[in-house]
Amino acid sequence: MSRQPPLVIDNGTGYTKMGFAGNSEPSFVFPTVIATHQSASAGSSNASSGAGGGGRAPPPIASKPGHLASKRGIEDLDFFIGDEAVANSKTYSLHYPIRHGQIENWDHMERFWEQCIFKYLRAEPEDHYVLLTEPPLNPPENRENTAEIMFESFNVQGLYIAVQAVLALAASWTSSKVNERTLTGVVIDSGDGVTHTIPVAEGYVIGSSIKHIPIAGRDITYFVQQLLRDRGESAQIPPEDQLRVAEKIKEDYTYVCQDIVKEFKKYDTDPYKYFARFAGEHSVTGRKYDLDVGYERFLAPEIFFNPEIYSSDFLTPLPEVVDTVIQTSPIDVRRGLYKNIVLSGGSTMFKDFGKRLQRDVKAIVDGRIAGSEERSGSHMKSSGVEVNVISHKRQRYAVWYGGSLMASTPEFYNVSHSRVDYEEYGPSLVRRFSVFGSAV
Amino acid sequence: MILLESHSVIINDVLTDRFEKASRADIQFVDYDNVRFHLSTPSSKTQLLLSMGIQCWPDLIKYGAREHLQSEYEGYLLPQDQTEPEYDVSLVIDLEKLPGTTEERSALISKLAHLKSTAMASPFLSAFAEQSTLQANYKEPAGAQQADLAPAGEKGELKIVKYREEEAIYIQASHDRVTIVFSTVFKEETDKVFGRVFLQEFVDARKLNALQNAPQVMYSNREPPLEIRHLPGLKNGEDWGYVTFVLFPRHFANPSQALATINRIQLFRDYLHYHIKCSKAYMHSRMRYRVAEFLKILNRAKPEVATEKKTATGRSFRTR
Amino acid sequence: MVSLQSFDPSRSNTLRPYLNAVRATLTAALTLENFSSQVVERHNKPEVETSTSPEVLLHPLVVSRNESERVLIEPSVNSIRLSIAIKQADEIEKILCHKFTRFMMMRAEGFVILRRKPLPGYDISFLITNFHSESMLKHKLVDFIIQFMEDVDKEISEMKLSLNARARIVAESYLSTVSIGSSSDFVSYVSEFLP
Repeated sequence: MSRQPPLVIDNGTGYTKMGFAGNSEPSFVFPTVIATHQSASAGSSNASSGAGGGGRAPPPIASKPGHLASKRGIEDLDFFIGDEAVANSKTYSLHYPIRHGQIENWDHMERFWEQCIFKYLRAEPEDHYVLLTEPPLNPPENRENTAEIMFESFNVQGLYIAVQAVLALAASWTSSKVNERTLTGVVIDSGDGVTHTIPVAEGYVIGSSIKHIPIAGRDITYFVQQLLRDRGESAQIPPEDQLRVAEKIKEDYTYVCQDIVKEFKKYDTDPYKYFARFAGEHSVTGRKYDLDVGYERFLAPEIFFNPEIYSSDFLTPLPEVVDTVIQTSPIDVRRGLYKNIVLSGGSTMFKDFGKRLQRDVKAIVDGRIAGSEERSGSHMKSSGVEVNVISHKRQRYAVWYGGSLMASTPEFYNVSHSRVDYEEYGPSLVRRFSVFGSAV
Repeated sequence: MILLESHSVIINDVLTDRFEKASRADIQFVDYDNVRFHLSTPSSKTQLLLSMGIQCWPDLIKYGAREHLQSEYEGYLLPQDQTEPEYDVSLVIDLEKLPGTTEERSALISKLAHLKSTAMASPFLSAFAEQSTLQANYKEPAGAQQADLAPAGEKGELKIVKYREEEAIYIQASHDRVTIVFSTVFKEETDKVFGRVFLQEFVDARKLNALQNAPQVMYSNREPPLEIRHLPGLKNGEDWGYVTFVLFPRHFANPSQALATINRIQLFRDYLHYHIKCSKAYMHSRMRYRVAEFLKILNRAKPEVATEKKTATGRSFRTR
Repeated sequence: MVSLQSFDPSRSNTLRPYLNAVRATLTAALTLENFSSQVVERHNKPEVETSTSPEVLLHPLVVSRNESERVLIEPSVNSIRLSIAIKQADEIEKILCHKFTRFMMMRAEGFVILRRKPLPGYDISFLITNFHSESMLKHKLVDFIIQFMEDVDKEISEMKLSLNARARIVAESYLSTVSIGSSSDFVSYVSEFLP
């Protein structure tokens, strides 16, 4: 009997991506949210409800067995996750168990996984290995708690907890530009809320050099909306659809230009060629409307490179942040980091994003080299630094895809922690971090 | 979610999506009881190939699974020799020849999403059929009350479905009932104890008035029940549980009823293990709460003023 | 506060004296002082754990309520070790107790006085050193131990109860969907579930 494919679950702050190893796309992508029924449990607790005062409510206590009429005692099964949770938000209360990438509420998370596995993936966890992801700098206690849940509640066969950035690096191996499989590189992970730049050296995250940029997908959407409003186009759009339309335009029409001034000129000389038409329909009345999509096509992603056009408090362009991240990393890995800048997440999907980033980083690096050559009195000649930005087809769910890729190698079973090991060493087992693919 | 659903969510989602708009697919996924699926578009975007590999296929095919699937998925099922390698059943869905109305389409999706349960249903259906023939041929022994008497009449073939590596379903028809025995293994100490509690409740639950009509449930751990005791290679030991369901004709009186019963019964093992796991999760949340409470009590022992003067590096000046 | 009020009075008949005995013994034993190791220079070790100098160990004492419930108190000059055997009537309680103590010991970091491993023959052990008794209020420490002993029994029996209740509901929900003799039966059954 062949081995069952491992489950790959990437729980992000906003969205959970999950599926089976070996696939190129996650089978499920939905918000990491759980809807629980609060009112039912409030009245049912008896004995220990007096305790503590404040804080969170104790778990509901089952009533005496024997009454068929009473369904008390299993309220904890009455919940929804993901899209269903959002749909039921009127009668249930929503909770987000993950904050800033880290699990905050273990009770909710445990139940979230419960439904992920049994309702959506329909897998008996006893038959599968599981690959989970964690943010960089996750405290070891969190990994221990995760292991405790996975092994004790779900009896999984084996568990591997991978760092998201490392998986994103692994995902880039699919790109044709990559000819050597390395786990050294800078990961630019841009989702909906925040953009991280994370340097990784041989599978280990260089924690001290991580930088966060408060510009990501949501900001771009707002910016598109703002541009439409400025040009007066948004008069056409019904107010409740504005954000949705802006998002649609962002996804379908935008691209990164190589020179903003030239691009403006191009548009002005031949607007008919470059302006696009967006046709929409009012979601309630069905009224048709259409509008022109103009400069926002290339201006929207431009906020990564010229943040001053959008924000007044964050002004460092992305290429500069990437350069700083690499420059603050240990000197012996910098070459490797410049050589392998990997994109991950939906907000790096703009056309030519990688090309532009590569050009800008290269310009900074070359400028510095030229400067130091000059300062040395032209006695020293640099051989140059290779700058590569890798963009590939699986960028949107790069972390998940990297996980799927790794979990489908035979090596996965050697590096993950098996149940036998867990029974021998206990949860502290996962403190030992075994890097994947270091031997590859 | 108390009850497990019997359809595959992935098939449901992907087909719903593809019926709207054809695009490439190559997805491998699983279902309970070692069932593997592969959904792909090998030739063109509009030709969806859905293949299923099921561990107990050799058993199922003995009990007419192929014929059953043939009748259920008329026009979609590929013949044996065209089945995708490494899989047992293949269906082809031509997106250009879909039924017209939305209702028909969603009915088709739902039917396809039930592929696994349909395949697994065949031994049950053949046992039900066997039961009705046995019943027809059966002559009532004079004066004996058949309910009390152990079924003395002729018995149908004992069907064995090895649905998992070590666990199996045994199905046997007799003139007035169909007996289904599940063997299940508990891999961990906690599961074993919890499992025993759960199974005991399955046995006791029938005492309730509302559940008088439920199938009779018997449970034994260690020892396999009488029906299958003669079989070689049965495991017995602490970790094993045997659950017997006795289905009476009323449980499969009409086709829809029979289908509902089958869909429930075949997921019994997964249902049991799912709830054992949920209970453990519930225990965890209780323990988390209790430990937090204990910590509060312990922290009361710490005096209020704990603000020490510290140096910039976090060391304190206190001498020992 | 989690208190005794809700506790079953019939049981407290024997529980009270038991807890009182533990409290008195523990209070008396908690006279700890700073004591440098006599074996390793400039080290300060809990003598009860190292037991390298027999002269600083005092007589261990067992307070027992019945066969299964007892407390072992091992005092020494600078530390005291307290081990508790928790009541376990059947295999369910045994497994729940094991799970609970394990869960707690996993989080020993927060419980400064909790030992990461129990003494053989006991379910959970605490180690109180003179540093603990200096930095924390002594009577509150004793309160904590007593409270723990009380609550842990209660918690385990509640967990057992809820396990049984869950199992019952789970079995009923399952069987009710198989049992549908006619659809009206089902409706009447479901209506019973509704408040």
